[in-house]
Amino acid sequence: MSDYLDVLSVLILLSSFILMANKRTKSHIRTFRIQAAMIALAAGIMGIDSLYKEGQFDLLVVCAVIIAIKVIYIPHLLKKVDANVEYKVEKDFFLNIPILIIGCCFIVVFTYFSISTSEGINAGTLNMRVVNSVSLILIGLFFMISRKKAIGQIVGFLVIENGIFVTAMFATQGMPFIVDMGMFIDLLSAVMILGIMVFKINEKFKSVDINKLKNLRG
Amino acid sequence: MINVVYAVIQIVVLVLAAPLVNGIIKKVKALTQKRKGAPLFQMYYDLFKMCKKTVVVSDVSSWILKVTPYIVFSTAVAAGLLVPVTTLIQPGWFTGDIIIVVAIFALGRFFMMLAALDTASTFGGMGSSREAMISSLIEPSILVTLFTIGLTAKSTALFPIMNFMKSTGTPLIHPVYIIAFITFFIIIITETSRIPVDDPSTHLELTMVHEAMLLEYSGRNLALMELGAAIKQLVFITLLVNIFIPLDQLIGVAGIAAVAISLGIYLIKVVCVSIIIAVIEVSTVKLRLFSIPNLAALSFILSFLGFLQYFVFGR
Amino acid sequence: MGFVLLAVPVVAVVLFLLIRSKKLQYAISVSASTIIMIAAALLTRDVMLFGVVEYSALGGVFYIDSLSILVLDIVVIIGLMTSIYSVGYLEEELKHGKLDPGRIRIYYVLMYSFIFTMMLALTVKNMGIMWIAIEATTLASTFLVGFYNGKDSIEAAWKYIIICSVGIAIALLGITFLQLSSIDVLKGSQFLDWTALYNHAAALNSSTLRFAFIFIVIGFGTKAGLAPMHTWLPDAHSQAPSPISALLSGVLLNCAMYGIIRTIAIVNRSLGSSVFTGRIMITFGILSILTAAIFILTQKDYKRLLAYSSIEHMGIIAVAIGIFTPLSVFGALLHMINHSFTKSMLFLSSGNILQKYDTKEISKIKGMLKILPVTGTVFLLGLFAIAGTPPFGVFSSEFVIITAIFQKNIFWIGILIAVVLAVIFAGIAHTMFKMFYGTNTSAEITAGEINIPGVIAIVVLFVLITVTGLFIPNPLKELIEKAGNIIIGGQV
Repeated sequence: MSDYLDVLSVLILLSSFILMANKRTKSHIRTFRIQAAMIALAAGIMGIDSLYKEGQFDLLVVCAVIIAIKVIYIPHLLKKVDANVEYKVEKDFFLNIPILIIGCCFIVVFTYFSISTSEGINAGTLNMRVVNSVSLILIGLFFMISRKKAIGQIVGFLVIENGIFVTAMFATQGMPFIVDMGMFIDLLSAVMILGIMVFKINEKFKSVDINKLKNLRG
Repeated sequence: MINVVYAVIQIVVLVLAAPLVNGIIKKVKALTQKRKGAPLFQMYYDLFKMCKKTVVVSDVSSWILKVTPYIVFSTAVAAGLLVPVTTLIQPGWFTGDIIIVVAIFALGRFFMMLAALDTASTFGGMGSSREAMISSLIEPSILVTLFTIGLTAKSTALFPIMNFMKSTGTPLIHPVYIIAFITFFIIIITETSRIPVDDPSTHLELTMVHEAMLLEYSGRNLALMELGAAIKQLVFITLLVNIFIPLDQLIGVAGIAAVAISLGIYLIKVVCVSIIIAVIEVSTVKLRLFSIPNLAALSFILSFLGFLQYFVFGR
Repeated sequence: MGFVLLAVPVVAVVLFLLIRSKKLQYAISVSASTIIMIAAALLTRDVMLFGVVEYSALGGVFYIDSLSILVLDIVVIIGLMTSIYSVGYLEEELKHGKLDPGRIRIYYVLMYSFIFTMMLALTVKNMGIMWIAIEATTLASTFLVGFYNGKDSIEAAWKYIIICSVGIAIALLGITFLQLSSIDVLKGSQFLDWTALYNHAAALNSSTLRFAFIFIVIGFGTKAGLAPMHTWLPDAHSQAPSPISALLSGVLLNCAMYGIIRTIAIVNRSLGSSVFTGRIMITFGILSILTAAIFILTQKDYKRLLAYSSIEHMGIIAVAIGIFTPLSVFGALLHMINHSFTKSMLFLSSGNILQKYDTKEISKIKGMLKILPVTGTVFLLGLFAIAGTPPFGVFSSEFVIITAIFQKNIFWIGILIAVVLAVIFAGIAHTMFKMFYGTNTSAEITAGEINIPGVIAIVVLFVLITVTGLFIPNPLKELIEKAGNIIIGGQV
């Protein structure tokens, strides 16, 4: 089973690279959906395993909630927001894509070196899974600051949350159940509020280019 | 003596199976577009037809144009002798390894690019420059991927690699190999000029990369070039299939029957991969030329990621 | 008693959703905050008698000790003042046609959800639920920041939600590492339980704990307005309606700082010395004070100036927590109280000024003492107070903190802070005092106070900060000392 989890953690990291390499918003949403599906799969595998060993349902319920919220509902919300917003921003990012991808690679290397020099998180394969998950968080942050469209920032934030959830899952077998549920409810409300804000930005500024939000300075 | 027989069997299988792959891909594409499409063996008929026609050569070209088809065909066949088709047949080239395969293909590609420039036609030059850009961008990715696999198998020779992968049980459920597998798919698409890198069925010269270099050939030369390209495609698919899905023997069968069965299993694997390639071709569009560096960067970084995972996991 | 405290805002929100009459909504708001205040007063008495109040509902999640009740009392008092003020403020806005009556309902629903989430963050002992509540405060207050739906408000609200959500996500990573550090020490039901972590602090894994601390400081520090993560603060606090600015500045920053303080208690107990956390907190604190000083000198908008002053005071609290002697922790908690009251008073007064003059720019406001006599006087004295002048409260807490710094023989920090405080005072004086004198040349602005309930609230706060500046009543002093003991727990 730990082989499957290793493969899934690498595939999740790979999906973040693919996310970085995409140019269109619809592809971002689709790649995010695939990433959330893989995370749900990993949660499901760990949940079935914990069901056999300790008889606890927690992770399985969490897996179902992930599928309902992150695979089905949030991409649906984002697509609705995307469809109602005009497109005047063509080039979505500041640097070109190969440089962004190389930057992501540096992030993975940097994460590896900083985590491997601290004892306590070192335990063989646990190490690489945690490295993969923490670099997912940093890649999400990098994605967020390298995009100009507001929806890109929302997707980046969602990837950060994904990364944190995966880190918690791989490093500590999941957070307490109430905390996980609270996290998901928070995430859902955050995405809904962000969606409404994107509508309002589009109304007032007639575009979703974040660079135009420059009035308040100093 | 037995090695020579094995070599002949391997060459015959590769040369005969190569046009079949193209036929399967075209058939699957046609079926998904709700057409009947050309028959499966169409490329064989085409090759026969081309061999019967006369060769017309431009009079401003030099010896390179006459020599290139033979070089391309022979490099393809030579590389074909190095790759493992089954673990039961070892044609004696036990020193053949990854670097030689890549270098042999590079030789063929070099002559192809020169010959396209040789005829002084604009489309040939354009095809050469594009091919140079794409192949130089994808080269690091090929080498890093193959080196990572070689590192895990502790050898860069291809037969030991295939034997090692057979001994690891399910090789795909492993973080390093799954990334190498995905990267290798991207490499196949790039090296064999498939959508999304280059459209093999286009007739618009401005969108061609590989086809543009073939515009000046006719008759037997054209047949050799096409067959060489098809064998190159089959060699890459063989690498993919036999390194990552190395099961090729049924238990309890030995002797000639075992060899025949393993060749049959190999052919089935090749057919499955060609169907997957055809599905990818149908579902994506050709990239803009200047978006190809994005794909190449992604492929290189993914292969580097695979190397990093090996470096940390250590197995 | 705790349930009354937490249930009243929820009931109030439900009532606001159902009732449409404006006067009834005002009445519900004021009575709800009064009931909350009474409940909090009774809880304070319980905590002072018994030390700790715990309820066993939901697995023993609710837990109130002296530190929680201290910050909770600030929330409750400022909540009451703000809701009294809001009545007059919203009436004025309706009169000037800046709001529709339907928006008042949304205002109250969001405001009481906001207050509920802040109180929830202060009354639980599970760090995970504390995190959820603090994230929920961001969500509840975003639409309050963007309440006026203008270009600037929406920009401020977008920056607020994006930066704070990312910051809170990083804090979640820190909490994950916190759980990771305790993985061999605690059982499943005790994960992230503050009292369990505190008691077993010596057995926690120290390097993971360091990672956890860094991430939690960066994360909650974003919410608390520490530089360099403060970039959302001036925009959000200046664009929000004034009573909401008072809540944000006076209360929310304290809640985030409370999260950091709880973590510091665990980390310092585990590492045995406060050097590691101290260095980080002092760095962030000094950076915040310097950033605030630089920006205060060049401000043109008085609400933004007040927001930068919040950043500065949060920096002072961070430095005091970093020093980590009993005296400095006492000073930090006292400073939290004084700063909250002073800053909310200033923001509420600025609301009056904004409604009277209809502009946010300092250069356009003249003759405030003649046009708004009570508000103007209170605002002037409040500016003196926030810059650290005796006899107001902020002076006494800053004095305690600087004494503690010099007691620990770190002279350069003390001198630096004193110099920067002087610079800030000069900056505020130079910029703001022009507003008070001169004659107002615009004819539309009539002299006279508006928003009488608001003026009452402002004057009450003013009296409070004068009182705490002159002397600190003994029960309060004991409460702060007990809270300090919880944080330091015998370590120096």
